[in-house]
Amino acid sequence: MAGFRDRTAVAGVGYTRFSKDSGVSTLTLACEAILAALEDAGLTADDVDGLATHRVGDSAAPSVVGPALGVHRPSWHLDQFGGGSVSHSVIGQAALAVAAGVAETVVCYRAINARSEFRMGGTGRGLPVSPEVQYQAPYGYVAPPQQYAMFARAHMAKYGTKEEHFGQLAVRQRASAAKNPRALMRTPITLDDYLASRWIAEPFRLLDCCLETDGACALVVTTAERARDLRRPPVLISAAAWGGGDSFLSGGPSDVTVTAAAELAPRLYRQAGVGPAEIDVAEIYDCFTYSVVVQLEDYGFCAKGEGGPYAASGEGIPVNTHGGFLSEGYVHGINHVAEAVSQLRGDAGDRQVDGAEVALSTAQPGYILPATSALILRKG
Amino acid sequence: MSAEAIRPVTDRDSAEWWDRVRAGEFALQRCGSCGTPRFPARAYCHRCRGAEWSWEPVEPAGRIESWIVSHQPFLPGVREPYVVVMVRLAAAPECVMYGNWRGEEPPRAGQRVEAAFTAVDDGLTLIDWRPAA
Ligand SMILES: [Zn+2]
Repeated sequence: MAGFRDRTAVAGVGYTRFSKDSGVSTLTLACEAILAALEDAGLTADDVDGLATHRVGDSAAPSVVGPALGVHRPSWHLDQFGGGSVSHSVIGQAALAVAAGVAETVVCYRAINARSEFRMGGTGRGLPVSPEVQYQAPYGYVAPPQQYAMFARAHMAKYGTKEEHFGQLAVRQRASAAKNPRALMRTPITLDDYLASRWIAEPFRLLDCCLETDGACALVVTTAERARDLRRPPVLISAAAWGGGDSFLSGGPSDVTVTAAAELAPRLYRQAGVGPAEIDVAEIYDCFTYSVVVQLEDYGFCAKGEGGPYAASGEGIPVNTHGGFLSEGYVHGINHVAEAVSQLRGDAGDRQVDGAEVALSTAQPGYILPATSALILRKG
Repeated sequence: MSAEAIRPVTDRDSAEWWDRVRAGEFALQRCGSCGTPRFPARAYCHRCRGAEWSWEPVEPAGRIESWIVSHQPFLPGVREPYVVVMVRLAAAPECVMYGNWRGEEPPRAGQRVEAAFTAVDDGLTLIDWRPAA
């Protein structure tokens, strides 16, 4: 594994504006974010020889985006089916391709009109993504907030985790977003605002849920060596790991309060040569508040069962400094990696974590589908 | 539950299980090699990878693993908040099943429950859950 560690880097980051209605296609969003990431790196589309994304039939494929940008003969591409559990997998796979010499300059992107065109979940979908949907949809159990609420309730019942713990986390992430010019929601909220927000699926309220967002984000992945010669300080990819687990949809493990991340984490840390104590900032997949609580446990920042009080206290590892999906916007995970890059470059402005040198960023921890992925990044 | 219910999109593994539910049977697959029960329906045993199996009627019972009160109107014709429960099966502790709650009181973690067959129409029966008698 040491053969992979720190051999590749993120050399550029690009965003579109985040909104509730982009007014443009996902192809346009993808191109805009990619061109911005290349500009950030001091490169052009002529330098690109690889493209990678993930999608669930809701966005532009590399085979469409490449030609649209004049990248006609990429030497590598990845069109990964999947949602939040593969967000970090895409970047990890790009790093593997670059480390293996299959490609040298890969753009990873995710472009979605998740509010104005294709909303996640609901009853209006076409083909189910998993055969297990048939055992749930007839009961009106169809949407991610319901599924996450189910697991959050189990954690509350087992460990005494409280709604107020979720609420304090939401309040703190909003306070971070207030310092982030990109964030969709920048008006501070209080715990009372949280408790007064309407129920979505008890125990979740509106303010437990991510923002359905239109937008795109892109990263440029290249060799560490090449990144050192480019415009911005390189951020090294120290580790990438993938994890699976038991299905929580139907047929499940004995403990639904433990995610696939618990099995992935030791491999990830070993690959990077660090442990949770060495992580300076964590950008954690927060489709819902509880997703952060359980991952703080499963990535070893606190003991199992203590994620609620730990997240509520705000005194541990800095988490979701950009405001996360709850307040910055939902670009399905890549914006968490982009924020980690910003923190490690030291250009995060008012929300900068002093002296950040090592960052963790994680994907959906494996509740909706039994798969997850994560990255550890290091200041170059 | 109304006739405009969300109908399950069955597949070639699951169709017979749904047929058995419609006939009022609560069945799981039992591995012919190692005896492990499984749900949902699959061709191979996840434990021993054996391909031999048979349907076995089991006790339609379990315990409440978790539950939600959904306030989003995802059930056609249902405007009030409704409860979805996740039940760990007594006959297959590795397996969970979902359903709507048919109890008077809210469910409790660990509560013993039994299946309540709900006929939607001639072609579809769903399994709901209520407190154990
Ligand atoms: Zn077997």
